[in-house]
Amino acid sequence: MLDLQGYGPRLIEGAGVTVQLAVLSLLLAIALGLLTATAKMSRSWLLHGIATAYTTLIRGVPDLVLMMLLFYGGQIGVNAISDILYYDFEIDLYINFNAFAAGVLTIGFIFGAYMGETFRGAFMAVDNGQVEAGRAYGMSNALVFRRIRFPQMMRHALPGLSNNWMVLLKTTALVSVIGLTDMVRVAAEASRATHEPFVFLIPVAVAYLLIASVSEWIFARLQKRYDIGFGEH
Amino acid sequence: MAATPLEVRNIKKRFGDTEVLKGLSLEAQKGDVITLIGASGSGKSTFLRCMNLLEQPDEGEIILHGDTIRFKETRRGREPADIKQVVQMRAKLSMVFQNFNLWAHMTLLENIIEAPIHVLGKSKKEATEHAYALLERVGLTARAHAYPAQMSGGQQQRGAIARALAMDPEVMLFDEPTSALDPELVGDVLKVMRDLANEGRTMVVVTHEMSFARDVSSQVIYLHQGLVEEAGTPGDVLGNPQSSRLKQFLTPNY
Repeated sequence: MLDLQGYGPRLIEGAGVTVQLAVLSLLLAIALGLLTATAKMSRSWLLHGIATAYTTLIRGVPDLVLMMLLFYGGQIGVNAISDILYYDFEIDLYINFNAFAAGVLTIGFIFGAYMGETFRGAFMAVDNGQVEAGRAYGMSNALVFRRIRFPQMMRHALPGLSNNWMVLLKTTALVSVIGLTDMVRVAAEASRATHEPFVFLIPVAVAYLLIASVSEWIFARLQKRYDIGFGEH
Repeated sequence: MAATPLEVRNIKKRFGDTEVLKGLSLEAQKGDVITLIGASGSGKSTFLRCMNLLEQPDEGEIILHGDTIRFKETRRGREPADIKQVVQMRAKLSMVFQNFNLWAHMTLLENIIEAPIHVLGKSKKEATEHAYALLERVGLTARAHAYPAQMSGGQQQRGAIARALAMDPEVMLFDEPTSALDPELVGDVLKVMRDLANEGRTMVVVTHEMSFARDVSSQVIYLHQGLVEEAGTPGDVLGNPQSSRLKQFLTPNY
């Protein structure tokens, strides 16, 4: 029988951190991705420029470097703000830049750039006649987005989105470097302490696989849902 | 006298260096069926699309029931000044497209109740009842829960007409509604359109169907290179064409 030598509860806790981190980062990445895609398709050169700078920066710098930059940079930024508040306004406020928040922000920020490209391609795949019909029937841009463009775009976005999610899930393992105790960190600690790496790393690998399998099932359901009306599947 | 449902004056539109509409006007009184005919490239579809601002005219006025659409000048050219006004105006003009453009992710019934619920604010129950009455009219009751991809072109176009009627539009705009259909499916769609004309619907129709233009229009406008070449009753324009271009256009070349 598998003997986790007392590390079981901490591993499960770590798995919880991994899942929370991944899901929250995904939500942030989707929101940023939609904004980026919209900005890149807009006629405003300013928005277009900001979005392009963002995707170029994120896609060109290693995730680990970005994560450390944001974590340490974030703490420095927060300190600077609390210094100003203290010296100029006499407000005593110490904010500890939380590692979990830093993890969510960084991963969300990184994958927002990839999602942006996924969504942009998906939006461009929507037949313009579908959008025109919405406009011609008196729908506002927001309504056209919600009722027509978004549901039709999702069908094209889901394969890329699910791919991004799988990579995102595994990227969460990097957060141990900024001191967050996810399941990889617990397993690494336990392996060092007990000199039995396989006892801890194999369950971690299985846990990732399990999360990935459940996600695949969810994405398959979503794909079915958004394929409705577009031929048989 | 009641205000004119739709009046457009002196519409001009250019794409790049090409002026495609060189000052076109039209006045649709209640019950009028106005058909726009002309060779491809004459500007007839663009003219129609300017009426509900799917294309932005560079110059000219659009007036619905005496209410003039306001425009403003921007760096990108002329744009509507009040988006709300445009949205309200479009809700009164429903358009039937050449490629049907039924929303692919919705059933036919959902297509028909979509704008009445979300744009006009009708209840789902009321919109659904109305939709079933319209489906019966266009002979598609049995297809209510079909998706557009499962329907023939003729069925899709009749469904699109039902979707247009669900808005209780003051004016219906038809953009070559039968041009994308197989010949044997054209008849059913034209029949529905003839019925609409006969019951006094105000319609502006871009078409290549000369028999439709001849039989049901109150006015025929022949466009050539963005200008009105001839306009008048079908008897005058189609029965007794003046210009050699129109004569040639009306001569079957097969």
